[in-house]
Amino acid sequence: MKSKILILLMMPLMACLLFACANTKSGALIHPEAVTGTPNCTECHTDAYAAMNHQAVDFFKKHSVFASNARRACASCHAESFCSDCHAHKEELKPNVKFSEAVERNLPHRGDYMSQHRIDGKINPASCAKCHGRTNNERCLTCHK
Amino acid sequence: MISHEKRSGCEQSSLLKIAWVMLAASSVTLAQPVMAADYTITGSSNTYLRMTRTINKEDLYPLYEYLRFSVTAAEKDGSATSLHVGAWGRVDLFDKSTDHYTDGDLQYGYLSYQAAKNNLLVNAGRQFITEGVATERVDGLYVRSDFAAGITAAAFAGSPVVTTPNYKGGDFIYGGRVAQGKPGLYSVGVSALRDESDKAHDREEEGIDLWVHPVKQVDLTGRSSYNSITGGWMEHAYTLSVAPIDAVTVSADLSRINYEDYFYSVTTTAFALQPGGLLDPREKVTAAGVSAAWTPVKNLTVAAEYKNYGYELLGSADYVGGKVAYTTADALSLGASGHRMDGSSDRTRYYDYRLYALKKTGHTEFGVDFYNVIFDRPIDGVKSSYALTGIAGYEVTEKLKVGGDIEYSQSPDFDKEWRALVKVAYAFDMKCGEKGGKSEK
Repeated sequence: MKSKILILLMMPLMACLLFACANTKSGALIHPEAVTGTPNCTECHTDAYAAMNHQAVDFFKKHSVFASNARRACASCHAESFCSDCHAHKEELKPNVKFSEAVERNLPHRGDYMSQHRIDGKINPASCAKCHGRTNNERCLTCHK
Repeated sequence: MISHEKRSGCEQSSLLKIAWVMLAASSVTLAQPVMAADYTITGSSNTYLRMTRTINKEDLYPLYEYLRFSVTAAEKDGSATSLHVGAWGRVDLFDKSTDHYTDGDLQYGYLSYQAAKNNLLVNAGRQFITEGVATERVDGLYVRSDFAAGITAAAFAGSPVVTTPNYKGGDFIYGGRVAQGKPGLYSVGVSALRDESDKAHDREEEGIDLWVHPVKQVDLTGRSSYNSITGGWMEHAYTLSVAPIDAVTVSADLSRINYEDYFYSVTTTAFALQPGGLLDPREKVTAAGVSAAWTPVKNLTVAAEYKNYGYELLGSADYVGGKVAYTTADALSLGASGHRMDGSSDRTRYYDYRLYALKKTGHTEFGVDFYNVIFDRPIDGVKSSYALTGIAGYEVTEKLKVGGDIEYSQSPDFDKEWRALVKVAYAFDMKCGEKGGKSEK
C-alpha cells in the first residue's frame, strides 16, 4: 500500500520534472508564410515537415498520422472546421457538395454516392467509420434500421 | 419518429452543450482584458440552398447555414488563449411535413490554451481528438505537452459525442498517448482508449504508431490498433514513401483489418456483424498497394496506382489506374483519372473515370466535373452511372463569395436526375495588434 501511494506521489513530481526539463519552444500558432492552394511543403521544408507535402500521391492516406503526431502543425494553417468538414459524424452535405469548386481536392463521395456507397462499403467498410464515427449515425439509420 | 421522452433528453443534452459554449465564451471575454496582447477574431458563414429530390421523387429544398467562429488572444511570449465554435443548422423550405424538416449540430465548441513552451495545449469543450487509437469527438478535457528526452504525452477524458437521439453511446471515454521521438527523425507512440457504457458496448483499445523520417527521401508512417475485449488486432496500416529524386515519389501501403475486432461495439446498424450478413465477423481483409507519382514540371502530376484487396471470404479484388493533374494556385485546375476495379461480384467489377476543369478569371470561376462508373453488368438496369456538374462562382469582395452548381446524373438509384446548389460564403477577420490569424478554412 505504501509503495502504491509513493508511486502516486512520485508520478506528478516526475511529470513536472520532465516538463520543466523539456524546455522546447512551441510551434508557430500561425504559418509564417501565407499558403494558397494545395501546398507542396518540400518547396521550403527539408525536415519532417517536407513529408507533409499535400501534393504527394499518398498524403491522403497519411494525414491521420500527421494529425495525431503534429496537430499543431496542421492548426498553423487549418482552422478546426477543416477537420469537421469531413470528420463530422452528423453531416448531411457531402464534402464535394459543399466544396464543388475545389475540384483538385481529394474529397470523397463524388458523383451519385447512393449507389457507390454499397460498393465502397463492401470493399473497405472500415474507411466509412473513420469519418462517420462508430456510434449510430442518423444518415445510416435512414435506411439501415 | 422521435418520442417526446427521447426528444426531451436530446434537448437537455443540447442545453448542456450550449451552457458549455457560453461558459467558455464568458471565460475568454472576462479574461481578455487581463491577458491579451493581440486579438484575432475570425469567422465564416456558409449558406447553402440545395434543390434536390429524394429517392421517392419528393422535392426537397434544404437551406443550410454553417457558422464558424474563433477568437484568439495571443500573448507576446507566444502563448494564446482561444475559443472555437462551429455549428450548422438546416431547414427544409418545401417539405415541413415531418419532424425532420429542421436539424443541426454543434460540431465543435471549445476553449483552448496553448503555452509558449513545450507545445502545452489544454482544450475544454466539444472537440475532435486525434491521438493514436482515438479519433473521437468528445465533450471533455484534453491536455498534451512535450516532456524531456523527446517524450510527448496527451490525455483526454469526457463524454463521447453521440448525434443520434435514440442511442446512448457511452457514459465516459478516456485515453491518452505517450510518444518518444527525435524531431525530424522519428516518433514512436503508444496509446489507449476506454469507453465505458454498458458491457455490450464498452471499448478497450490500445495502439502503437510510428513515423520514421530517417532521410529526406524516405518517410514511413503507420499504426496498429488492438482490441482488448476481443483479444485481437483491429487494424494494421502502414505507408512507406520513397522519393529517389525530387520529381518522383513511390509509395507502398499495407493494411489488414479484422472485422470481428474492428467493428466490435460499433453501433451503426450498417456495420452490424452477422455471419453471412452485410458484414461477416469472420471476414479479414489485407490490402496492399503501390503508387508512383511523377512531377515533370511544376504543378503537373502524373500518377499510377495499384491496390490488391485480399479477403478471407469474399475472394480478392484489384484496383488499378492512374491520374493526371495540373493545378496552379488560384488560376487553373485540370485533371483526369481512370481506374479498373476487378472484384469477385458484379458490384465490384467496373471502370471509373473522372474529368474535371476549373478556370478562375479575375473574380469569376467556371468549372466542370464529370464522374462516370461503368459496370461490367448492369446494376438495376443501369450499366453506366454518371454525374456531370457545372460549377460557377463569383468573388464579390475579398470576404464575400457567391456560387453554385448544377448536376445532371444517372445511376441505379436516380434516373436522369437534376440537382442544383446555390451558396453564399462570407468570411471575416478582425485583428488588433501585429499578429494575424488564419482564415476559417
